[in-house]
Amino acid sequence: MKPFLTFRLLFFLAIVTISADSQQRFERSYSPQHPAHLTISNVNGTIHISAWDKKTVLARANASSSVAFEDHVIGDDITIVTKRSIRLARADFVVNVPPDTSLTVKNIVGKIDVRGITGHVSIHSIDSDVQLTKVNSPSVDVIVTSGDIYFDGELRDGGSYNLQSMKGDLDVTLPSATSFNLNARALSENINLGSFLNSLSGSSRGPKGVSGTYLRGGPRLTLTAYAGRILLHKK
Amino acid sequence: MVCSQCQELLSEYIDGALELGEQVNIERHLSDCEPCRAVRDDLLQIVHFSQQLPVQAPATSLWPRINAGLAEFQPSFWNRSLRWLHNLRTLNFNFSVPQMIATAAAIAIVVSTGIILSRHDNGTTPIATAGITLSPSDARPLSQADLQVLEKQISQLSDSVEQRKDSWDPELRNAFERNLLYVNQSLAECRHQLSDHPGDDVSQELMLNAYREKIRLLEGFDKF
Repeated sequence: MKPFLTFRLLFFLAIVTISADSQQRFERSYSPQHPAHLTISNVNGTIHISAWDKKTVLARANASSSVAFEDHVIGDDITIVTKRSIRLARADFVVNVPPDTSLTVKNIVGKIDVRGITGHVSIHSIDSDVQLTKVNSPSVDVIVTSGDIYFDGELRDGGSYNLQSMKGDLDVTLPSATSFNLNARALSENINLGSFLNSLSGSSRGPKGVSGTYLRGGPRLTLTAYAGRILLHKK
Repeated sequence: MVCSQCQELLSEYIDGALELGEQVNIERHLSDCEPCRAVRDDLLQIVHFSQQLPVQAPATSLWPRINAGLAEFQPSFWNRSLRWLHNLRTLNFNFSVPQMIATAAAIAIVVSTGIILSRHDNGTTPIATAGITLSPSDARPLSQADLQVLEKQISQLSDSVEQRKDSWDPELRNAFERNLLYVNQSLAECRHQLSDHPGDDVSQELMLNAYREKIRLLEGFDKF
């Protein structure tokens, strides 16, 4: 009897292990003719997007077997979608793009990391830390319900840069010579503009909001936090 | 969860010190219980008011003096009562810092409630936020009708999400409820700040934005 029980136990463990490891891999390469517009719409999982020196877009993802992927291309618009289900199945993306690619990223849960992009960036998520590094985009729009947003990049003249989190910090690092018009709002009354504050002209300053022009102005930097801090650093 | 359990945990809930499961239980209870919601709102108001008070750092020599005083004198119930009556007669009170905070918060609640009710009676509800279609930097007062449109949209989306929620994966449900809690806390804080300072443009902007965020959150989860 005992050997039979042991066999059944081993068989059960094997089945559990197989189903736990049940993963799939998604991999596609796209060759846009002009600067591409890539949309990734995910539900749960990390999304790492970084620029490389090739002209192709390479998207790879490791995902639970229950995740269904869809992708379609219209001209230079590339869209990759993981279909929603009542399960929060996971798909982790690693994507390489030409630097001038414009990005639209939608997610529900999972960290988002964007690096080296010079195209437009739009990121909307619910529960995500977002990290933007070495970006030099004409516009950036990041809205999360909860999660920290970290921005380290440059602002372009006439550009629009909007970062918002309801439950998390906004941490922005800019070159000291960057000019911009600032509109910072923090319900927590926790705004630390560092040495940028001293050189802010035409400013209105209150505990929950600071507005003003740094150097010559130009790019519009809008920072909105609720239960979190706004931190501005010079590089 | 019953009301007494909920109210016992409300302080920790507001401080964000509860485990996720407990947070979710409280949020479920609050969604169906008006009296507990009122208690929560009062506590939020006290927290908000306390945050505005200056920080008083006690001297390092204070605790030995308190300790010595406690050891020396333990007043009986009658002694305490007589002292209270004496203080009342001479209007001479000695409050501790927490007592002062609680008293100040209670006065603030009574005064602000009175102001709100009196303005409401006059038909000029002061709480307003920026327009529905405006950008966050604009700050024209929002009419009551606009506010009702937002509330209605939120109510419809909430009903739709609530119907689906039971079929969701627990992880998905937790993510939704946790983030809804954050948005609701921000909205409650905006309302309190606007009740203190009805003309505060920044609070109006933030409140409108929080409404938008709630709609975005509900729309995001309405697709599951």
